[in-house]
Amino acid sequence: MFQFEKQAVAENMMSAEIYYQQVVTSSWGSLNTSDEISGIHTVSTRRRGRMSQLIRSHIPPRTERMAVDQDWSSVYPTAAAFKPASVPLPIRMGYPVKGGVPPPKEGNLELIKIPNFLHLTPPAIKKHCAALRDFCTEWPSALDGDEKCEQHFPVEIETVDYVSAGTSIRNPKARIVTLRVKLSNLNLDDHAKKKLIKLVGKRYCKDTDVLTIITDRCPLRRQNYDYGIHLLTVLYHESWKTEAWESEKTEEDMEEYIWENSSSQKNALDTLLQIKATENVSNVTKEELLASEVVRNYRNSVIALKNEGETESNMSQYKESVKKLLNIQALP
Amino acid sequence: MAARCLWRRLCQGSSFPVSYASRVMQKQCFLPNMDLVGGRFSGSHVHTEEPKTNPLVSISDEPEVLYRRLSLLVKGHDRAVLDSYEYFAVLAAKELGITVEKVHKPPKKIERLTLLKSVHIYKKHRVQYEMRTHYTCLELKHLTGSTAAVYLEYVERNLPEGVAMEVKKTKIEKIPEHIQEPVWDTLPQVEEAEVKS
Repeated sequence: MFQFEKQAVAENMMSAEIYYQQVVTSSWGSLNTSDEISGIHTVSTRRRGRMSQLIRSHIPPRTERMAVDQDWSSVYPTAAAFKPASVPLPIRMGYPVKGGVPPPKEGNLELIKIPNFLHLTPPAIKKHCAALRDFCTEWPSALDGDEKCEQHFPVEIETVDYVSAGTSIRNPKARIVTLRVKLSNLNLDDHAKKKLIKLVGKRYCKDTDVLTIITDRCPLRRQNYDYGIHLLTVLYHESWKTEAWESEKTEEDMEEYIWENSSSQKNALDTLLQIKATENVSNVTKEELLASEVVRNYRNSVIALKNEGETESNMSQYKESVKKLLNIQALP
Repeated sequence: MAARCLWRRLCQGSSFPVSYASRVMQKQCFLPNMDLVGGRFSGSHVHTEEPKTNPLVSISDEPEVLYRRLSLLVKGHDRAVLDSYEYFAVLAAKELGITVEKVHKPPKKIERLTLLKSVHIYKKHRVQYEMRTHYTCLELKHLTGSTAAVYLEYVERNLPEGVAMEVKKTKIEKIPEHIQEPVWDTLPQVEEAEVKS
């Protein structure tokens, strides 16, 4: 080697030594001769014969210098790709060679492709949450059950947010707003409730007494929410109004069976009057008949049959009331 | 202290930008535990007495929004990724004091399609592809607006690549004032005009 080359190499070596002071470990052994300096690209390529000069041996990976009790959240503070030299785990992934094992982690594309949670280990999550806890507020302890929530806050508004990767972060389904309220919590009288149910149609569920309004006709979620509240307001106030044409409500429009002024009442009264006439009893007025207990029983059983449908108890109740009305005890 | 240092460092990093720093908390105005709120988040004049108050927390006067239920549906192509994410989300909820009502895994959906294998002719030779979507559903109960915002931002920012999420929020509200009483009682003149017309 020429003299000035040796000097240049020696200078390089000194700077390299300062830089690699932390890198050199006992297992690596002493620094090699000036001819073979690892990590430094030897400028001289004149020694074509001495291939050993051009070989670059890698520095050992960072995993060998990691302590067992190190702070892992400083190795992976944020989401990052899998670096085999930074993760001190002997992981193998991939399809195994025939009669062999899956490939090791060095240069393993499968490990790089899959999303890793190395930045979200339990201690890291606990640290993040400890810092975030200051921004959280507590749920009011007075509202500990669903019934209490229902009692104090009857209106429920449901909105959906969509998070996904793509060319756009917007999702057109995000503007849909669903408004749910129980009619028992609104200030409605009998007529108003029936009118409201007729106005909304399918949006009312009879079993749970819940009115559901789904709005999506406006482009923004806030506008849809305002429109939903506006619809509720309009429905409420309209149902309290009594229009002139509502007096033309016929029996087919009725939601539930009303016995007063029905054909059943007429028939029962006529039958009873005829029975009384044949027995030559003094003229009993209609009001007396209506107030009598047999007629009351008959009325209740007919209403139960019509409103609730035919059940065992309803049918037997009707049978008993008819027997009492017509005074027939003989039939079983 | 270490946590705050770490958090501040994270603030400067790419994953938690400045929006965390300017988080505005909403004061709850009807609470029985007002003393807790008042004592913990004092104004600037009490800083010297309580050095632990986080200077980045600011309280606004808006009433707190209440969420009865928060339902997170996470969709992905890999069951293992979803399981890890579910562990992370459940742990984060527990640490922030949120009750996790239910964690269930709806069955996967497979979408299959059959295409022609060749560019031109060879109708009898096809190739079949399928796309598997796995689901995990996380249901959280009883959250306030601030807590929900904090939790959702944390969880959504750490959503892995290739995973989608749908968050269904059920907000509970009082009945608006204009629906408490029918308006016809208070406006007799308008009613008469309507009857006349």
